[in-house]
Amino acid sequence: MSGLRRLGRAWSGRALVVAVPMLWLGLFFALPFLVVAKISLSELAIAMPPYLPLAEWADGALNIVLNFGNYLFLLSDGLYLAAYLESLKIAAISTLFTLLIGYPMAYVIAMARPERRNILLMLVVLPFWTSFLLRVYAWIGFLKSNGIINNALMALGITDAPLQLIQTDFAVYIGITYTYLPFMILPLYANLSRLDRSHLEAAADLGARPLTTFLTVTLPQSAGGIVAGCMLVFIPAVGEFVIPALLGGPDTLMIGRVLWDEFFSNRDWPVASAVAVVMLLVLIGPILLLRRAQAREEG
Amino acid sequence: MTEPMSAPTRAAPPWTDPEATPFLRLEGVSKSFGGFEAVRDVSLDIYRGELFCLLGGSGCGKSTLLRMLAGFETPSAGRVLIDGEDQAGRAPFERPTNMMFQSYALFPHMSVEKNIAYGLKRDGLPRAEIAARVADILALVQMTQFARRKPDQLSGGQRQRVALARALVKRPKLLLLDEPLGALDRKLREETQFELKKIQEEVGITFVVVTHDQEEAMTLSSRIGVMNAGEIVQIGTPHEIYEHPHSRFVANFIGSVNCIEGRVIGREGAHLRIGCPDLGAEVTVESGFEAGAGEKVALALRPEKIVMTREARPGFENTVTGRVEEVAYMGNLTIFQARLDSGARLRVTRSNTTRTDADVPRVGETVHLQWTGAAGFVLGA
Repeated sequence: MSGLRRLGRAWSGRALVVAVPMLWLGLFFALPFLVVAKISLSELAIAMPPYLPLAEWADGALNIVLNFGNYLFLLSDGLYLAAYLESLKIAAISTLFTLLIGYPMAYVIAMARPERRNILLMLVVLPFWTSFLLRVYAWIGFLKSNGIINNALMALGITDAPLQLIQTDFAVYIGITYTYLPFMILPLYANLSRLDRSHLEAAADLGARPLTTFLTVTLPQSAGGIVAGCMLVFIPAVGEFVIPALLGGPDTLMIGRVLWDEFFSNRDWPVASAVAVVMLLVLIGPILLLRRAQAREEG
Repeated sequence: MTEPMSAPTRAAPPWTDPEATPFLRLEGVSKSFGGFEAVRDVSLDIYRGELFCLLGGSGCGKSTLLRMLAGFETPSAGRVLIDGEDQAGRAPFERPTNMMFQSYALFPHMSVEKNIAYGLKRDGLPRAEIAARVADILALVQMTQFARRKPDQLSGGQRQRVALARALVKRPKLLLLDEPLGALDRKLREETQFELKKIQEEVGITFVVVTHDQEEAMTLSSRIGVMNAGEIVQIGTPHEIYEHPHSRFVANFIGSVNCIEGRVIGREGAHLRIGCPDLGAEVTVESGFEAGAGEKVALALRPEKIVMTREARPGFENTVTGRVEEVAYMGNLTIFQARLDSGARLRVTRSNTTRTDADVPRVGETVHLQWTGAAGFVLGA
């Protein structure tokens, strides 16, 4: 067989392997996104579908109308800006919580004996076996006025009246932290399990106490895992809808809920689409950060 | 046993002086993991300025012993004293030792400079002093121009130097080296052996080196402790270990040896006469080995101490005859396997002192194998 033909065949094989995910992304991400972007530039109408087409053919002329009014509207109404900021804040605080809880867990799993590691990892992933919705509902049972936590606090005499736990931002932090924890632990575990233990011994040998060893050797080497885990939690948390809807209060204003309201309550598809497009633009920064962290992890 | 005549030191070596105080002392040190005894009752004295090698095969406990000195493992029994101080209960960061790891364990996120400065920073030294000491040590290991590189931008040999520099820069009382040359290729290893020895003499720090490479141990050490199955089986200078091994294990582990079974016939002054049915001869060997007539012993003969010729020459106490069975040309020397008339096989080496040697016996030729009374040594059966 000639080398050229073999090369050609290898190339077509590689093209096929690349083509499948590209096709998937094209069909289920790029195309829908283009549809949403198109709708965001059209005008609202009482019709089916509830917006005017972008291009119209009339009297031998092609009229293309790009309506940026929806984007300007987002700027004019303080509600949207407030919702974006609130979403970023809630996502950031929840991400910090998952990091603070997830890092020690990932560390312990990575340092455990190999035969115990798999069991511990399994326990981390176990909650995925129940429905996400069910798990969030379970938190209502914990947090409500006559829920488990309040009952326990009152039974112990720590408080007289039930605390307002549910329908607060705090409840949303708990919900997001709890449900997204595995996304923090898994990349951190992958990173920490590759940490060379002789580095820790070398640091101790050179006079570093355990805390110094952690700060100067372990932590810097796990930076890639920290960034990856944080972005995996932060990015979806910004657009989270279910958790704030179930656990949040009336003033928990997250962009996911705004999006829902625009689409289904106001039936204002163009503005809703504009909200979605802006959210994606806001998240491009964190997404690039995630990609860089992953590239470094692999490299 | 007669004292070896070599010992290339200026003054009398400290281990021959019963008054000398050891710098590192191990007293009955043992270590078990679960039911397995990795190190068994090791007692050892190492003196200031020595380069002591712990030599043994894999799993003999040498690395565990080193890790107990560094504080990474706690002895199950016994005491470790460094410069007179008991190290019990001291964490690695509290010990006056530094270790050079087999994998080097360089911090990948730090430059060469930062790696070396790491230990000095932990001691809280002023910045100017740290910079000066790092610069000095970089010069010593000839790595100055690589100061700002990251470890993954260095070759194996360069990493080895950085690891050595990082361990040395704190001026520890005791430097522990775990297979320091193990990751280098053969050529580089040979060069680095001498360099390591030179650096050790320059800084005057006591080194304890763990190695499985007998050649490395022979070249580097002031003394060698040969380990087997968790125990130190013999301690001595390279010369003592090679020429006066106490056991078959040591004789076989360092260099190669022909071991011939026999029974003592009797003593004639400094010489022992041994009847060796395998050789079909009685041999005379100069030995202090105490054995009564009829006792089973083994005669051990290093291959290079046997002279092989076509014509027997005078001046040798022992001569047997045989036939060349195999010849392996190694360049610097040639290894012969000779089959004796009695059926036993002897291994003989001959150094190739000229480029063409017409005198080299060929396969199938009948040869005389001769050795003097001082060539062999006697081991217990």
